Amino acid sequence: METKTILLVEDNADDEALTFRALMKNNISNQLVVARDGAEALDYLFATGKYSGRDVSLGPQVVLLDLNLPKVSGLEVLRQLRANERTKLLPVVILTSSNEDQDRLQGYDSGANSYVRKPVDFNQFVESVRQLGLYWLILNEQPPARR
Amino acid sequence: MMSGPTPHYHLQEARPDPEPESSAIENARRATLNILEDFAAEKCELESGQRATLNILEDFDAEKKRMAGAERAVLNILEDFASEKSQLEEFQHSFLNILEDFSQEKNRLEGTQRAVLNILEDFEGEKANVELVNERLENEIRDRKHIEVEMQRTNMELSAANKELEAFSYSVSHDLRTPLRSIDGFSQALLEDCADKLDATAMDYLHRVRSAAQRMATLIDDMLNLSRVTRCELRRESLDLSAIAKSIASELQEAEPERRVEFAIEDGLTAVADPQLIRVAMENLIRNSWKYTSGHPTARIEFGRSDANVKDCFFVGDDGAGFDPRYAARLFGAFQRLHTAKEFPGTGVGLATVHRIIHRHGGEIWAIGAVEKGATFYFTLR
Ligand SMILES: Nc1ncnc2c1ncn2[C@@H]1O[C@H](COP(=O)(O)OP(=O)(O)OP(=O)(O)O)[C@@H](O)[C@H]1O
Ligand SMILES: [Mg+2]
Repeated sequence: METKTILLVEDNADDEALTFRALMKNNISNQLVVARDGAEALDYLFATGKYSGRDVSLGPQVVLLDLNLPKVSGLEVLRQLRANERTKLLPVVILTSSNEDQDRLQGYDSGANSYVRKPVDFNQFVESVRQLGLYWLILNEQPPARR
Repeated sequence: MMSGPTPHYHLQEARPDPEPESSAIENARRATLNILEDFAAEKCELESGQRATLNILEDFDAEKKRMAGAERAVLNILEDFASEKSQLEEFQHSFLNILEDFSQEKNRLEGTQRAVLNILEDFEGEKANVELVNERLENEIRDRKHIEVEMQRTNMELSAANKELEAFSYSVSHDLRTPLRSIDGFSQALLEDCADKLDATAMDYLHRVRSAAQRMATLIDDMLNLSRVTRCELRRESLDLSAIAKSIASELQEAEPERRVEFAIEDGLTAVADPQLIRVAMENLIRNSWKYTSGHPTARIEFGRSDANVKDCFFVGDDGAGFDPRYAARLFGAFQRLHTAKEFPGTGVGLATVHRIIHRHGGEIWAIGAVEKGATFYFTLR
């Protein structure tokens, strides 16, 4: 089975390691690509900058997007994704630090497919990632990529 | 007009006198005749004079008749004038009456004028007072304006401070939780990956690290929720409090179905209040009752309306552990608890949150309780 990448946009190295660990614990073996700020994420998604020439048909399958990011914020990344014909249907899961973020975002249509609060309890996080993986990587059929 | 020709005597032609003696007589006769003749002429003249006079008189009569007509006209005029005069007199009369009235009026006016003058005089004195008061008022207005400006400035500062607080809360929430995730996550990783290298004590320490991290996360969340209650905008809607209480009750019963707790929820209780905040408040109160009755094999939790101490207040009551009424004042302070964590777990922000929510609605909250006699929390909403 062809596996597509998961793009994790996360500036905190600990969170990156813990997310990787949670994915592994759920046997999600898709290649994990990490962008450490919003600008790098956009380069990856649109095959520009240091990612110019990347084969965009290889995904990502889903974007795990932190909100508080250096350079370009998570919401701006999302906005640009949704404005682009090729990426406007790409599943995006927002990882939030607080309930408050989640409330704030759910108040208006940010265009995210779901929200996951990064809990302090690691076991809860593993459980959230499990549900996410099930939904976005297995249950949810990706619409065919367009060029 | 009566001047006729002067009468003169014409002597008639002497006739031959027959005798001398007889001539004297003759003379006398002649003279007499002459006189008579003269007299006749005279008479003629007189007659013509008389005629003239009669003519004149005749003329005079016509004149008189004319005069009489004129006189009648004058009389008419005079008559007319007389009626006019009586009218005038009447008019004059009434005019006099008016003048009389007017003079009374004038007296009154003069009285009034005098009174007004007195008032004006008084007013002079008063005016000085008023000016003084005015000056004071103006100063006060100036002060007030100053205060108003000051208040606007303070308000602006306050809302700026509020925004700052919000930003602070947000970063507290974000920044404090991030290292906690690391502490908990890597402790867990150690427990899993290095279990074979760790003895029981090391494992126990790691468990303590994890639970402390999680407890701190709860504290942060509670703190943020508490500050959120004050920060968020108040929205007023008509709410079915009974329905809210019932849904909270069934959530609790679903979570712990083994507990034998009877809920007595009065029907049809409504209020106009913020739906989210009221839900938070009622959940805290009912959860407390649920928690502080957990030491008893059976319990009864009640939600209703009461007119007992204060008209039209709501209450949540239970027959649980209760509290020592001497410390009742501390119930609503943040992080204040009347029970130890061993007896009952908790942070102590629940009632502080409820307190803030009720106060934001312009209401009051107070509690009645005794150790092992249960507790009842009363609140009003405005
Ligand atoms: N129904 C009750 N019966 C007896 N004591 C109560 C009751 N409700 C509150 N209390 C007392 O008031 C204290 C403060 O209550 P509060 O809800 O603020 O905190 P908590 O329940 O201890 O913790 P949490 O922040 O999780 O709600 C409690 O610690 C308890 O001692
Ligand atoms: Mg409580």
